This record gives sequence, C-alpha cells and structure tokens, in this order.
Amino acid sequence: MGRTAPPEVVLIFRGTHQVMSAEKNLKRAGVPMRLIPVPRRLTSDCGLAIRISHPDRDLARKVLSRARIIPRSVHILLDQEEYEEVPF
Amino acid sequence: MAETVARALGRAGNPGRSGHALSIRSARDLFVARERLAELFGARDSSRFVFTGNATEALNQAIKGILRPGDHAVTTSVEHNSVMRPLRRMEEAGVTVTVVPAGPDGAVDAKAVAAAIRRRTRLVAVVHASNVTGAIQPARQILRAARKAGAYLLLDAAQTAGSVPLSLSDLPVDLLAAPGHKGLLGPQGTGFLYVREGVPVVPLIEGGTGSRSESDRQPDFFPDALESGTPNSVGIAGLGVSLAWLLRKGIGAVRRKERELLEELVEGMGRIGNVTVYGPRDPSRRASVISFLVDGMDPAEVGRRLEKEFGVLVRSGLHCSPDSHRTIGTFPEGTVRVSPGPFTTGKEIARFLAALRKIAASRR
Repeated sequence: MGRTAPPEVVLIFRGTHQVMSAEKNLKRAGVPMRLIPVPRRLTSDCGLAIRISHPDRDLARKVLSRARIIPRSVHILLDQEEYEEVPF
Repeated sequence: MAETVARALGRAGNPGRSGHALSIRSARDLFVARERLAELFGARDSSRFVFTGNATEALNQAIKGILRPGDHAVTTSVEHNSVMRPLRRMEEAGVTVTVVPAGPDGAVDAKAVAAAIRRRTRLVAVVHASNVTGAIQPARQILRAARKAGAYLLLDAAQTAGSVPLSLSDLPVDLLAAPGHKGLLGPQGTGFLYVREGVPVVPLIEGGTGSRSESDRQPDFFPDALESGTPNSVGIAGLGVSLAWLLRKGIGAVRRKERELLEELVEGMGRIGNVTVYGPRDPSRRASVISFLVDGMDPAEVGRRLEKEFGVLVRSGLHCSPDSHRTIGTFPEGTVRVSPGPFTTGKEIARFLAALRKIAASRR
C-alpha cells in the first residue's frame, strides 16, 4: 500500500528545556520543524513535542546527537489516530 | 528591562504546561535567559542553571540539598546570613560546621580554609566577594583544596555575578549562586543556582514541572529536578534582556568601569581625615562595594544625611552579615556601604565625595 505523503515524526523530550534546546539546534541546522502539544495518545504529559517530516529524520538525529539532546521517544504518525514508536 | 517585564506581564503563560502560544512564549523566555546565563558564565550546558527567586533561595537549595547528618562543612567568618543561617539550621540536623576567620580586611586565607577541611567535609561554602568589605576571596585556591579533599565548593556570587568576570570553564566550581537583581541588572524576584553535572543535590521544593506528569516522583533531570511550580517567567523575561546587555557590553568592561569608580572613591575618601574605609586597599582585590565610617558618627545618621541633604542612597548597618562586622571590628553598629554600578558616573562619585566631606566636617 503506497502513501500519498511522507509520514510525520513526533519527537518527545524529557522536559520543556530539552524541547527548546532541540528546537534551537534543529532550526540552526535548517531542519524544518514545528512545536506541537504532546499528542495525548503518546503520553499524559501536558508539554510540548517537536514534529518533523520523515525525510528529515536522519539529519535531525545527527543534529540532536551532536548536541547531546536525545528524545525520550520517537513516534511515526501512521494516520490521524495511530502512532508507531520507533528507535531514535 | 522594565518594558520587557511590563510586556511579559500582559502575556504571561505558564511555561511547559501547555502547547498554546502564550505558554510557548514563556517557555522560550526562560530558555533564552538560561542560554544567556550559560554564555555569560562560560558553561556548556544551560540546563544546569536553575532559576530561583533570589540568591538566598539558591544558597538554601545548595546547602540543604548537599549536606546530610554526619557531614562536615567549612565556611568563613565573612558570609552573609543567607549562607550562615542555613548552615546553622543544618548544625541542628547533625552537620558540623567550621567557620574560618578572615583577616581584618575581610579576605580569607586559602591555606586556612584548606587546613579546616577534614575527611568528612562534604561542602565548602564561600562568598566570592564580601558584601561588607568587597574583599574578593581566593576562589581558585579554595576550589583546588576542596577538590583535593573530595568536597564540593559552593560559591556565593551575590556581589560579583555580572560585575567581576567569572567563567565556569576556568573556575569549575560545583555550585554557584547569584541574584538576578544586583550585578546581573535584572528585576527583583529572580536568581539562579548553577549545579555542575554529577553533583548530587536533593530538591528543596518538589512539585509540578510540566514533565513526567504521569509520575508522582520528582524528575531527576535538569532544570526540572530543582524547578517546581509556576516560575517567575515575567521577571526572568526581564533578566534575559539585562543579560543580553551584559553580553554585548562584556563583564570585563563593566569591571574596568567599576574599578575606576572604586579607585576614585577610595582615594577621595582617604583624603577626608575622619573617614575610615574598610576592605582591601588594592582595588583589584575588591568587588564594587565599599564600607566606611565617619569617626564617632552613627552609620545610620550618615546614611540619613546622605539621602536627605544630598539625595545619595546608601545602605547602613550590619548588611545581614554580623560575623563580617565582628571580623573587621564594626559590630554592632555596622558601616555605611556605597556600591557604584555600571551606570554610575564620575560626576556622581564627585557629588558623593563632596557630600561626605561636608558630613564629616560637621563632626570635627
């Protein structure tokens, strides 16, 4: 089954400071991203997450690893409701 | 800075508690201020800067978060009550405390601090510069002695943060506490504690952090581990602006300016016969604080006349540091303290000296 659009990836971090720090590093490296409220299906946290598109995943991993900001978990949005947890 | 605080008041969202625009804005204000603190103090990881309401809260967090019954702590006789009172409280909880006496100019000998360190010493708490005499302490040698003994060094930078260059990459203290409203030029109700990675500090306050909400245990990562409850994001937004100013200006430049003013003050006051100036003579060993007395005159009266007759605002009395005054021999009356800042002008110093000459002359 083919996809019409590349799937989106949601990065969950430990705390708000780490989200802000990830945002700074991703923006500086030119990785397109959006801050989003953490989807309720992923955690009960009331904070922020970062959404990037799937083709940018490798670059994001490289940028964040270099800055030593490791996401708590990474999820691929399969459709409006379902996420699949994937390794960072 | 004041305009930023006013604007921030109108849009204060609770940082890290939601994904809406105002919450994000506040979270960003905190992040930006933290990053600027890390840059200003030469630290790699800004998450190790925990915001507090003032330096007192930061010092309490450090002292009560490190010491446990059976531990020994070393401090000096020129500490502020924000160090001494938490230490005295910890004494009641089974901690032993050694107070190393400073010299008559308020400076402590690093060798005496080193000699006071024992096998059970877990914390050495030292003021970077005395708030009474301005004496800058030999922090580097004290850090070396603490490291050698496996003790943590807490540096109270209340009088130096923002006005005396201090780099954590050059002077890697374990804990650094400072207020936002003094040399960092921010609003009252702000301050920070820096905790070096690997230094185990138990939180003084636990509660909501916006993170790990599914757990009823305090997070162990920074800054959330030591930052619970709604922060003063309005004040911290203002602090962020003053930190940007300091980064542009450079603390070296602030220090040079304040040193010039200090030299003018010390020289001018030295020429008034019946004025005694306390603290180190060498301006390079003094932060921007000068304590003095007009011989035979109540410091409170000098302060009152300076304000009423000349519009100069100073602090007089014990400056929350009784032991400092015992050390320099000015207890219990205290001293008058004058502290030029980066916006003080040479003209203002001249005006102050003229006022002091008149007040001192009335006593002769």
